[in-house]
Amino acid sequence: MRIKNHPIIKDFKKEELVEFRFDDQVMQGYSGESIAAALKANGVMIHRYTRKKSEPRGVFCAIGRCTDCVMIVDGRANVRTCVEPLQAGMIVETQYGLSRKGANKNEKI
Amino acid sequence: MKPNMDYPGKALIKMKRYELIIIGAGPAGLSAAIEAAAEGMEVIVFDENQKPGGQLFKQIHKFFGSKQHRARERGFKIGEDLLKKAEDYGVEVKLNSTVIGLFDSKTVSVKIADSIEHYSAYNIIVAAGASEKMIPFPGWTLPGVIGAGAAQTMMNIEGVKPGEDVLMVGSGNVGLVVGYQLIQAGSNLKAVIDASEKIGGYGVHAAKLARTGVPFYTSHTLKELKGETEVEKAIITEVDENWQPISGSEKEIKVDTVCLAVGLSPMSKLLEMAGCQMKSEAGDLIPICDQYSKTSLEGIYAAGDVAGIEEASAAMVEGRIAAASILKELSYLDQAEFEARFSAYKASLEELRQGMFGIGEGSWDYPQKSREGYPLAKTLLKKGYLKAEELKKFPGFIDKKSSEVIPIIECTQNIPCDPCQDICPKDCIKVEGDIVTLPELDENFECSACELCVAACPGQALFLVNHNYSNNYSSVSFPYEFFPLPELGSRGKALDRAGKVVGEAEIIKVNQAKINDKTAVLTMKVKDAIVDQARFFKEGDF
Repeated sequence: MRIKNHPIIKDFKKEELVEFRFDDQVMQGYSGESIAAALKANGVMIHRYTRKKSEPRGVFCAIGRCTDCVMIVDGRANVRTCVEPLQAGMIVETQYGLSRKGANKNEKI
Repeated sequence: MKPNMDYPGKALIKMKRYELIIIGAGPAGLSAAIEAAAEGMEVIVFDENQKPGGQLFKQIHKFFGSKQHRARERGFKIGEDLLKKAEDYGVEVKLNSTVIGLFDSKTVSVKIADSIEHYSAYNIIVAAGASEKMIPFPGWTLPGVIGAGAAQTMMNIEGVKPGEDVLMVGSGNVGLVVGYQLIQAGSNLKAVIDASEKIGGYGVHAAKLARTGVPFYTSHTLKELKGETEVEKAIITEVDENWQPISGSEKEIKVDTVCLAVGLSPMSKLLEMAGCQMKSEAGDLIPICDQYSKTSLEGIYAAGDVAGIEEASAAMVEGRIAAASILKELSYLDQAEFEARFSAYKASLEELRQGMFGIGEGSWDYPQKSREGYPLAKTLLKKGYLKAEELKKFPGFIDKKSSEVIPIIECTQNIPCDPCQDICPKDCIKVEGDIVTLPELDENFECSACELCVAACPGQALFLVNHNYSNNYSSVSFPYEFFPLPELGSRGKALDRAGKVVGEAEIIKVNQAKINDKTAVLTMKVKDAIVDQARFFKEGDF
C-alpha cells in the first residue's frame, strides 16, 4: 500500500525503517511517520471497537480531530494514532472500548 | 519553554508578552508572521500540529491565480517558501501547541504537552483555518470511510495509498482535486457523486478526471455502505429536485474506500469565545471583520479560512492585510506606506474573488452564462467534460486548419487565473482586462509549439493540435501527470474528453522539460477524423 512511484512527489522523506508490534504481529514502519500510516501500509483497517456496540472503527480524519483511530500505544489508551509518531519497538494494541481485549463487558469480538 | 514541574500550577502564573500572537501556522498565519517580522516586530505563532504549513504541504497541484498569487506553483512549494521566509525573519513558531483560550484582554492560553501556558500581546491574529464537514449515512462509521483531508495526508505526506477502489463523495474543488491526486497515487477513482445537480468545483478540475474515464453522478447521494468490518461496496441513489431518493435508481459500486469531500467549516470557536461579533454563513459562524481583517474586538484579527472559506491564495493575502494593519497601528509603518501596501493587497484579493466562485456565492448558485455572455457548457456542469460542439462557441477555440500548430484553450468558466497569457513567449494568448476573463487566441497568433502553456495551465485545459502532422494523421499535445509516463513510441488508445476510446494513438513526443515542473507534455498521433475528440492516452490494447 506504500506509494512507490509518484508523478509529482519524488521523495516522501522517510526516516529509519523500524519494527513495532501490532497486537501479536511484528510489523515494519518508518520512525516519525504516523502510527496510522504504518498500520495502513501493513493493511490494518481496524484500530478499535466501540465501547457500547463493539463496532469497528478506523482512520477517519487523519489530523487528530475525530479520535476515531485511537489505540493503546505502549500501554496508554486513547492515543490518536494518526498524529502520534511511530518509534522503534512501539507496542500498538487494538483498543476495545476504553481498554484491552477482554476488559470491556460489551465486547463481542 | 519547558514546562516547569516544580509545583502544580506554577505554569499558570507565567505570562509571556509578545507584540503579536498568531494562532495557526498555515498560509494565512505564516504570511502574516512574515509581513510583521520583516519590519522587526516580535511575533510568535502557535500551531497545534507537529509540522507547520497547515494544509499547504498536502497540496501537490498547481494553484490558480496570477503571478503575484504564485499561480502555476504547487502548494507544497509555496509552503516551503513561506517556512523559509518565516525562519529568515526569525519568526518563532511553536508547534504541538494548542490554543485553548482567547480572551478579549488579548491573552491566550496554550496547551503545550501536559501544561498550560499563557501569553499576551498587543495584537492577535486568529488564522486557525477550517475543519472538514461530514455527512452521516448508514455505514459511515466503517473503516474505509475517510475525509478528503485524510486521503491527502495519507497519500501526499505519508506516501501510503488511501485505498485501491475509491468513491469520492462531493464534487467541489476539494473533491475534484483530491480525486485527481488519488489517481496520481495509484488508486482507482471509481466515481464522483454529488447530491447537487451540478458539479460544484471548477469545470477544468472535473475535466481532468473525466478524460481519464471517471464517471460523474450528479443528483446522486450515498444510500448506504455495505461491509462487515470494512467498506466493501457503496449503494448510491439518484435524488429528485427536493433531494429525496428516487426509488429504483440505486446503483452498486464496488469500493474499499469512500472519501468524503462535503465542505469545510471555519474553526472560529476561539473568536466566538473571545466575544467577537459573529455572523452565520452557509451554516457556520464566522467573525464580522472590516476590510483590514479586524474583528469587532480591538486588537483581534481574523485571516484565512477561519474568516470564511476561500482558497489558500486568498488566505495568504488576508494574512498580509491583517499584519499590515497591525504594523500601522503600532507605528511600524507610516500612513503612506500602509496605504500603498493595503491597496496592493486589496486589489490582489479582489482579483481572486471574482468569477463564478467569488466570495459569498454558493456553489449551487451557478450563473447561466459566462461574464462575456457565452452560455455555460451544460455537459461540463453535469458530467465533467465539454462536448466538442460546446467548446466551439468559446473564444479559446479557433477553427484554422491551415496553420501548423494551433493552441486549443478549453477554459470556459470565469476563474481567476492567467498563467497561459503570462507564459506564452509569442503573446498568442490574451486574458484581457482582469484575470477572470476567458482566455482567447490572438487573431494573428504564431504558435511556436513550445508547449509551455500546456504544462503551465493549472486547469490542464490547454492542448496543441497539428492538423497537418502527416498524411491522414494529426497530432495532439496534452498534459500528463500520472505514473507510469508513456514512453516515446508507445501505442495505445486515444480517449476523448469523457474518457471514451475514440481510436488508435501513438506517442510521438515526450516533453519532460524542467521548467514544466513535473507536468509532462505528451504528443500523440491520431487519425485526422478524431483529432477534435482525442484528449488523453491510455497505453496498451484493451
